[in-house]
Amino acid sequence: MNNHPILRMTNIRKTFGTVVALDEVTFTVQPSEIHGLLGGNGAGKTTLMNVLYGLYKPNAGQIELSGQSLAISSPKDAIRQGVGMVHQHFLQVDNFSVLENIIMGMGNVNPMEATAKINTLSKRFGLTVDPQAIIEDLPIGVRQRVEILKALYRGAKILILDEPTTNLTPQEVDNLFESLRFMVKDGMSVVFITHKLREVLSVCDQITVLRKGKTVTTLKRTEASEEAFVKAMVGDEMDIQNSVVFSQGDTDTIAPATEQPPLLQITDLTVQRTNRLPVINQCNLTIQPHEIVGIAGVADNGQKELAETIIGLQTITSGQVRIDEVVVQQNHTNVLLNGQVSYIPEDRMQDGFLPKATVAQNLILGLQRQQPYSNGRFLNWGNIYQTVRQLIAEYNIQTLGPDDVGANLSGGNIQRVLIARAFSFPSKLLVAHNPTQGLDIPSIEFVYSKILAHKTAGMATLLISENLDELLLLCDRIATLYKGEIMGILERPQFDKYQIGRMMSGLRIST
Amino acid sequence: MALELAPDQSTFNPKTIAMWLIPYIVAVIAAFAAVGLFIGLMGYDVLKAYETVLFTSFRSQNGFIQTLLKFVPLLLQALAFTVPFAAGKFNIGGEGQMIVGAIGATAVGIIFADWPLLLLLPMVLLAGMACGALWAAIPAWLLYQFGMHEILTTVLMNFISFSLIDYVATGPWRDPAAGHPTTIPIGVGGELPLLISSPPLHSGLIVALFVALVVYIYTDKTSAGYELVVTGANSRAAEVYGIPVRRLFILSLVIGGMIAGLAGGLQVTGSQHRLIEGLQSNFLILGLIIGLIAKGNNMAVPFVAFFIAVLEVGASALQRTMMIPGEMVFIVEALILLFVLLSDVVRQR
Repeated sequence: MNNHPILRMTNIRKTFGTVVALDEVTFTVQPSEIHGLLGGNGAGKTTLMNVLYGLYKPNAGQIELSGQSLAISSPKDAIRQGVGMVHQHFLQVDNFSVLENIIMGMGNVNPMEATAKINTLSKRFGLTVDPQAIIEDLPIGVRQRVEILKALYRGAKILILDEPTTNLTPQEVDNLFESLRFMVKDGMSVVFITHKLREVLSVCDQITVLRKGKTVTTLKRTEASEEAFVKAMVGDEMDIQNSVVFSQGDTDTIAPATEQPPLLQITDLTVQRTNRLPVINQCNLTIQPHEIVGIAGVADNGQKELAETIIGLQTITSGQVRIDEVVVQQNHTNVLLNGQVSYIPEDRMQDGFLPKATVAQNLILGLQRQQPYSNGRFLNWGNIYQTVRQLIAEYNIQTLGPDDVGANLSGGNIQRVLIARAFSFPSKLLVAHNPTQGLDIPSIEFVYSKILAHKTAGMATLLISENLDELLLLCDRIATLYKGEIMGILERPQFDKYQIGRMMSGLRIST
Repeated sequence: MALELAPDQSTFNPKTIAMWLIPYIVAVIAAFAAVGLFIGLMGYDVLKAYETVLFTSFRSQNGFIQTLLKFVPLLLQALAFTVPFAAGKFNIGGEGQMIVGAIGATAVGIIFADWPLLLLLPMVLLAGMACGALWAAIPAWLLYQFGMHEILTTVLMNFISFSLIDYVATGPWRDPAAGHPTTIPIGVGGELPLLISSPPLHSGLIVALFVALVVYIYTDKTSAGYELVVTGANSRAAEVYGIPVRRLFILSLVIGGMIAGLAGGLQVTGSQHRLIEGLQSNFLILGLIIGLIAKGNNMAVPFVAFFIAVLEVGASALQRTMMIPGEMVFIVEALILLFVLLSDVVRQR
């Protein structure tokens, strides 16, 4: 029994239509290890684990648990076999208690016994949580513990965590890793899915790298260098030495032009709807030319409202937003129409993309009254097609051409359309909200280099991101939002992710 | 449904036009084959029926002019649908807007009956457009103010218009000599000049073609029209990028109503010179079919409208000469639409 790995997936193949998501993937997990499953977006990590969890049926391949070959046809099967999964988006009933969420769907359970069992598990693995607390009152880190406890309560021997560090503060990440250590010491195995190299390096024993649906390599943490993993993740397509993504945040860039007037100036800004708590509360922020200012924070702490106030979409309760020294009119997005701001919205499908229109129509949105696309009244389709073809080539948008319907594009290419459009605006200010979501590593590199090139050219950038590493890499200053308030602003030499983490959970730092 | 509104240079090369046409040709053949099967089973001569439906319009001058006279209201009804459709709004009230437009046109034509042509005719047509626009403005306002769905309100406004025309055509302006609810004629100055006098073809044809051209230029060639299309493609994104979408919803519906009202005005000034109950015929449904077959493409609308007009004239001939119910042609038209929509689904697989 001990010779068998706890999990072995052999030659797994999964196709969606003509797309091959997994191509002969082999994946082995030993008992008592944290196994990192690393790869860029679209590498097939989540698909592989969904196959294991019974959510997808593989076209071919074998799954063995502790040496026994078996077919898993549903999550119920998987749970019975001791496989637990924590999804990126938690499946919880918000107005139920922690206890109710954990025992949900398990039939008749004695609440006293269940509470006792939960408390034991919490203590053993350092997953502190109050079983009586209501889910919606809890921060994301604690809600994640509930999901883990849910799996442990059902007797999971293998725990799969899909991108578990998204939206956690650095402190919460540390706590999570500590708990994972307790679990493997107890004999469990953990599969840790992520696209963040540094995280797997800090916590995993073994690491499997997937790229484009194929197993590239499996290596012991101690046996390989960081470079080996980087190479495995991106292949030979990228110049790793000169890349921004894999640099340590020491990329040489021009210093912000502090003596010039700011391109964005937010003064005492408050946005509040009737009878609600303010979504933006007394914010002050300026961005100079040649400067990238980051907004850190857990999702839904006012980031979207801040972005939308700058582009004039939200009604300002009090305070002021000035772009290039001109006050933004409330409830008028003419700043976008006049090309004063480039905007990369967070929710690309809702707020930025036109699936029913053509690629050309998508690329000119916001610029339809500007030269060279229009003389203000009539569109100049000749110019439009010429520019659009250039953008498609420059931004490497995979499409049949300018007349291709937007719905035919993949998520990554849709993001490229949004980025191409934003950078084709004649503006000096960029508001980018999670600009690299859903992109693979070479594309992320491309976006970073574009942002830095525009910084060099004098652009001011407001970079709102849930990815703290991204902010630490690119920004000159980082402000942290918590419940619509800026808890503090750090400048580059003083960047400290734990301090940002404290601000993300609501502690104000005196600066 | 794809809105292929951007005419690239490449759109005009034979290959892309062929790619665009093939599903239509297949749909038409399939629809004719399906209905042919029925007609055959009912014991009629299928080939003769096909010939009647397709060639009646082209065999005599009379047939061709009949086709053109049908084409005018069909084209305008289709545009009354496709303009709001571009903004993602469904105007199912073209019928009511046409009736109220005809009422407005008739009222001006009767009240100012002794005005000269140069004054009366434009006034009559403007009255038609204004009344149609007003009739569409009511659902548009309900949408803007209360978020009431335009499909529901535009349809219901049709029923109000039926009662309204009933009242006007049987009221003080009633023509006592007529056996059907009809008003007295409008002034001679309100009659559209004829292009051909016998059989009569009125100049409404030119007006309708002009409107189609303006609509095409608006939706496909102007920045404002682009904003309309963007609103239809994703109204939230349009709003984020500064386009006043709620105002465009209103505008598109009112323009639609204006065009439908003009259709009513042209029926009065061109064909009947009076208000006759039932003038709306089934132009609304056919207009929807035309707009949907053209997939909202305003360049294609006139061609589709002409084809449907040919079928409609063929339908009357079918009934007259072969005693085959004209509704058979209506089934053909519906099947063409169905098959065209189906081809989109097939292509996406």
